[in-house]
Amino acid sequence: MSIFYADISKNQLKNWNNLISDIKQTEIFSQYCKDADFYRVFKQIILSLLLGKEIILLDDDFSEDVIKRLTGNSISETEDILVNKQLESIESKEDLLHRLQKVSKEWRITLFTSGTTGLPKRVSHSFDSITRFVQKSKNHSSSIWGFAYNPTHMAGIQVFFQALLNGNPIVRLFGLSKEQIFESISDFAITNISATPTFYRLLLPESNQYPTVRRLTSGGEKFDEKTINALKQIFPNSKITNVYASTEAGTLLASNGNDFSIKSEFKGLIKIVENELVIHKSLMGNSDTFSNEWYHTGDMVEIVSQNPLNFRFISRKNEMINVGGYKVNPHEVEEAIREIDGVSDVRVFAKSNSVLGNIICSEIVKNNDSLDESLIRNQLQTKLQEFKIPRLIKFADKISTTRTGKIKRN
Amino acid sequence: METLKTIFNTVLKNRGKQEITEITETSSPRNDIGFDSLDLAELTVRIEAEYDVDIFVDGVVNTVGEIIQKLEGK
Repeated sequence: MSIFYADISKNQLKNWNNLISDIKQTEIFSQYCKDADFYRVFKQIILSLLLGKEIILLDDDFSEDVIKRLTGNSISETEDILVNKQLESIESKEDLLHRLQKVSKEWRITLFTSGTTGLPKRVSHSFDSITRFVQKSKNHSSSIWGFAYNPTHMAGIQVFFQALLNGNPIVRLFGLSKEQIFESISDFAITNISATPTFYRLLLPESNQYPTVRRLTSGGEKFDEKTINALKQIFPNSKITNVYASTEAGTLLASNGNDFSIKSEFKGLIKIVENELVIHKSLMGNSDTFSNEWYHTGDMVEIVSQNPLNFRFISRKNEMINVGGYKVNPHEVEEAIREIDGVSDVRVFAKSNSVLGNIICSEIVKNNDSLDESLIRNQLQTKLQEFKIPRLIKFADKISTTRTGKIKRN
Repeated sequence: METLKTIFNTVLKNRGKQEITEITETSSPRNDIGFDSLDLAELTVRIEAEYDVDIFVDGVVNTVGEIIQKLEGK
């Protein structure tokens, strides 16, 4: 049996024939995809590819309010597309994969990334740009993927396409307990895992070894040596790679350890200007925010050697806070808190943390004594995704600022 | 143990989750109490504020007993 998707936490096992039959039975395709079930998200992306229609991915925990602000309308007001037996002729897995080689130029995938100002921003990719880094070959045909990202985020989409276009099984690891994760790795003989350093850190300590894993990929945060060494013990046959990727550009750089270099095909398209990584627009997806020829990533690097060029990431130029690989814009959180009745001032900042890298904290000045922490939390839950809500809330008489009068961020 | 339980319940309450009435040394924050990585992160900060020990600095601790060992400096 050829597995397409498995999730042991839900006792879910879908082979390619199940997928094909589900696709054939689809009557209506909705462009907006907001679903907690990974299989249905994947199926809907495949449907969009086959139909050549844009798909818009929304996080499963976006509230109706956030969706309205992001898209201008609510999902229920959008028009559905009649599939009308267009896909009834798909015969087999091979046939399906063959059709995916001829995706319409019109096809787009749109997702939302934490913007640098206020609301998350919209980024769209074409089939060429989203699959630019998919490696397809006989070597990859035997891969079995441990899926350790949110399927509506860029990193998850890239893993999905890498697996899909090679016809590889996808096994859910994201959101599972440590025991379930190791059980999945062993039961399905997983060979490849791509995940954030936080995901890997939460697997430790572990005394068993898992020899089937050949490749571990990580990105999104700095990877510490201690975790890398522990992973080498648990996965003795694995090669560990660090990647640099963003929602705007996808995967661009890969490294061994923490040192990055620019691949020859990107010479002249990726450069370092005043210690900041800068990317040419030809490597980017489409978004209103890219009006210039060069996109400044805000990622600050330190040059290790000039020839050949090697560098390391040190910090973010802007104030984005990295919480376990999820980027949080403190301004967006402050805006949401400021809207609450009884709040007169607020400061959102990061505190470094051994589990997630950073956690979100806030200091609030209130002008109404009846306002308390649980009232604030209840309101934020309707406005912000869980990882953006401050984990520590402190009431203060005034907000601490830097000597130049800016809000202190750490 | 009582202080730890209070800290656990603060984290649970902040997320609108059901509070617990008792914990034992074998309780696992992730499997028995239902903590996810955000909760664990908050837990470390609150324990550090109370005891001045970062319980996760050498990797993840799995049970309440292991947390207590860390706090006792074993």
